[in-house]
Amino acid sequence: MDRTNPEKPSGLFNGIVDWMDERFQVRTLVQSALHVKIPRKAKTFYLGGITMFLFMVQVVTGSLLALYYQPTPDRAYDSVMFIMSNVNFGWLIRSIHSWGANLMIVSVVLHLLRVFFQGVYKRPRELTWVAGMFLLIVTLVFGFTGYLLPWDQRAYWATTVGTEIAGAMPFVGEFALNFLRSGPDITASTLSRFFGMHTLWLPMTLAAMLLVHLVLFHQQGIADPTKPVSRAKPDASATPEPEGKLLPFFPHYLLSEAIAWYVILGILIILASLWPVGLEAKANALQTPAHVKPEWYFLFLYQLLKFVPRVAGVLAPIVAIPLLVLLPFFDRNPELKPRKRLFAVIIGLLTVAGIIGLTIWGQFS
Amino acid sequence: MESTTSATRPDKKLVSRRGFSRFLLGFSFISTVAGAIIPILGYLLPPPSANAGNGGRVLVGTTKDIPIGQGKVVPVAGKPVMVINSNDGVHAFSAICTHLGCICMYDPVRKMIICPCHDGQFNPVTGVVVSGPPPKPLASIAVSVDGDNIFIGEA
Amino acid sequence: MKHKLAISIVSAVLFLLIGIITVSAQGSDKAILSAPTSTPAAAADRVVTTTVKSTAKAKVDTCYDCHAELLDKHPKVAADWKDSVHGAAGVSCADCHGGDPTLDQMKTSMSAAAGFIGVPDRTKTPEICGACHSNVERMRQYNLPTDQYSKYKDSVHGAKLAEGVTQVAICSDCHGSHAIKKASDPTADVYPLNVPALCSRCHSDAKMMEPFNIPTNQFDVYKSSVHGEALLGKQDVRAPNCASCHGSHDAKPPTSAEVVNVCGKCHTATQNYYEQSLHSQLKEAAPKCWTCHGNHDVTKPDENMFTHTASTEPVCTTCHDIQTLDLIVDKAKFANPDDRRCDTCHHQDSWIYEQVLSLKSAMTVADLAYKQGDVMIAEAIGRGMIMNDAESRLAEARTSLISARAAIHTTKLTEVTKLTDKADASAKEAQQMASDKLGENLFRREAMFVAMGVIITNIGILAVVRRRLYKELE
Ligand code: HEM
Ligand code: FES
Repeated sequence: MDRTNPEKPSGLFNGIVDWMDERFQVRTLVQSALHVKIPRKAKTFYLGGITMFLFMVQVVTGSLLALYYQPTPDRAYDSVMFIMSNVNFGWLIRSIHSWGANLMIVSVVLHLLRVFFQGVYKRPRELTWVAGMFLLIVTLVFGFTGYLLPWDQRAYWATTVGTEIAGAMPFVGEFALNFLRSGPDITASTLSRFFGMHTLWLPMTLAAMLLVHLVLFHQQGIADPTKPVSRAKPDASATPEPEGKLLPFFPHYLLSEAIAWYVILGILIILASLWPVGLEAKANALQTPAHVKPEWYFLFLYQLLKFVPRVAGVLAPIVAIPLLVLLPFFDRNPELKPRKRLFAVIIGLLTVAGIIGLTIWGQFS
Repeated sequence: MESTTSATRPDKKLVSRRGFSRFLLGFSFISTVAGAIIPILGYLLPPPSANAGNGGRVLVGTTKDIPIGQGKVVPVAGKPVMVINSNDGVHAFSAICTHLGCICMYDPVRKMIICPCHDGQFNPVTGVVVSGPPPKPLASIAVSVDGDNIFIGEA
Repeated sequence: MKHKLAISIVSAVLFLLIGIITVSAQGSDKAILSAPTSTPAAAADRVVTTTVKSTAKAKVDTCYDCHAELLDKHPKVAADWKDSVHGAAGVSCADCHGGDPTLDQMKTSMSAAAGFIGVPDRTKTPEICGACHSNVERMRQYNLPTDQYSKYKDSVHGAKLAEGVTQVAICSDCHGSHAIKKASDPTADVYPLNVPALCSRCHSDAKMMEPFNIPTNQFDVYKSSVHGEALLGKQDVRAPNCASCHGSHDAKPPTSAEVVNVCGKCHTATQNYYEQSLHSQLKEAAPKCWTCHGNHDVTKPDENMFTHTASTEPVCTTCHDIQTLDLIVDKAKFANPDDRRCDTCHHQDSWIYEQVLSLKSAMTVADLAYKQGDVMIAEAIGRGMIMNDAESRLAEARTSLISARAAIHTTKLTEVTKLTDKADASAKEAQQMASDKLGENLFRREAMFVAMGVIITNIGILAVVRRRLYKELE
């Protein structure tokens, strides 16, 4: 929160900062990170930042849950039950973690959509987009692995059908299924595997990818979605924008971002208080519940698999994901305004409508 | 920002205005941190019930409480569990009848787990239905004996 | 396949050597190798003798060969037989109808000389079936009982038949004649789920029952009883069908002396309780299961079964023989379900009436506590609270409550209140747990409002600072 002011050396805080500054020039570091300017025309809707905030919330609540959670089939369910009914605020921490996961999926997708429809993934931000796609995948895998951990009926059977989606792949299906489940069935080793992924591999991967994403973003600044991509060499185009069209990233942009974070925090608290997460009966491999479904964000895929030939249904995402990752490399249209890139916008809208439609259909079938 | 601040620094009014802003932001910062810290600290305090940390097992009694030929219903994680000490070892089952969910008891005379509601009877060693309306066997539950102590759940 | 062929050949050779059969060696040979109707080889060494005289036991079956080709009902009869248990086990046409299936001329094969009897007489049928089905040696391999015929002779059906009344049920009326299926086959008329409809084919037919002067509404009444709903509605084969209480081959209405054991076959715990009661010691005058619950029309019992809803004038002759002053039970008084109440006998002025009221109130109190607990837990669950503890406490309450309902049959107030008190106590505990959880839920909501207050204040502060910053920027 602190704008440094070398001419005002009083106070404990400044004292500490001075001490650090003498040793590793912390002021220069922070200033170079924060004191950039961004185009006033940029509209991020704070979605990337909100996703990042939710990730931080997940890290904090997740680490807390890990203090009581016991990742064995025998204990997982009971320990979650213990968190819910015995640990102080356990219900709150678990409910926030669960709602946070859902909101994070929503916000990362909205963030992607905003980037896509503004066309700001284009040169020079191709790599930011690629890193972003990896973040999306990691976020989805986060949700998938986390869902199994409570080891209740819903968790167990959603994971059963979820892993079956992978098992439907041609040639490598069986391998993929065995790989995900760590064997042909969902057992104790599946739970260890999912737990390890969810609490060690994925957070580290996501943090690393996020760092790349943010460094790229910092180096390039926020795009101005009203101006077509410039094909010129970057240094040649270094004519600075007039001051009036720029906004200091710090504190102006960050302050708005902070407001957005508070709003999200409020939403999280309301959701967790009014609709705390439940726990169904303990997982029972011998008793399939009536309506087995994967998590809502995989529903569209599950539904798609139901009515297109299995192979086609599984191939669709396998083809679509690399296409999406590489989008900035083959979409060479320099225009950013939607009206000038109708084809991309229409394809995007159709895809979104299709996914929403399939999800709703899946929900009610 | 830098330029604005240095230009306006001599202005007393602005400085006090900035002081006020700082005060507000300080309040905001502290209230937020406090709001987050309180539940977290509460969460970290070990809760009263001892069962959860017990190496995954729950002590439900000793072989003195439940001698050979006897059975008893004990609560484990809020659910009734039937523990039976029979001639060939200690067995445990969910005590919830598979018919309509009444809580079964052990009848040491008939050597049978019986459900008092509709007289369902279950084998005390395997949990399978011997007679009556229950459609399925009682779910068996892992149990272990350590010295005299009977534990529910795997270690 | 090869194995089977080997067996057929070996057995054929055996037949030839012993020379039991009258068929020429050539004919028999041909039958084995080419006749499409040769019975399964395993049946070859089984010699079936029935009361029907058939002159030949062979692998040739000219009956089937012809009848399968005839017009009208014949091919159906032949096919039915072929698909039936008898067809599979090698029980042939001649075993029931007589005649000689080795002769290919109708005149000779279906001649009296060859033992042909045509359609067996209704009065003779049980005997014909019984000839094989009473034979322990023969039935052992099929794991079938052999007492059906002797049971049948003891049944009302059998007794009437012996008197020459031919419209009573005989074997083929229930099991079919040609298309006989296993009782475990869900498409068989004698499959438990289909039994009520089967019996009602005759017993709901007013014209048919007229000479016997018995009611015809049992099936309709049964259908809406708890038993009928379980069997026909929920398709629960364990629920009693007609035969469960009346017997099948030995069909007879249970007598008053038997009824407690009949119901007690399933309701064992209730029977135990009943036998501890004074009711059960009254012998002839004892109220039995059906006095209070009816027979075909058993409904779900509830707390209203203690007393009449409107006050009624007691009728002395319900329970007292006016001449001898002995205790009796006038069953006719209990025909109307509304009169199946304790106070039908224990009228308001009798000293037991007090006890009836105490039982009723003990049950009602416990039931209410249970129901309230249920509602409260449901509400807490609806608010997202985890209610495992309270739910199992409530299950305890329900267990005691159901046990108390059964214990009413002892008619002992202390027995019942022991259980209702337990039910009440557990239910109250469950209620307490639920109200604690509801309280905690309220706290959560209040805390949420405080947190929202802080957040909104902070948003306000940031918004103010932001406005100021933007102003400075201009
Ligand atoms: C865990 C997931 C993610 C996090 C935490 C994250 C975070 C961020 C942040 C904080 C920004 C700054 C601008 C803003 O707030 O919108 C940003 C920019 C950006 N993100 Fe992400 N992001 C994530 C996923 C994605 C995904 C899935 C994509 C697309 C495939 C993506 C593509 C981009 C691009 C191209 C920019 C630059 C936009 C511009 O310059 O206007 N990001 N990201
Ligand atoms: S509830 Fe146990 S037998 Fe009905």
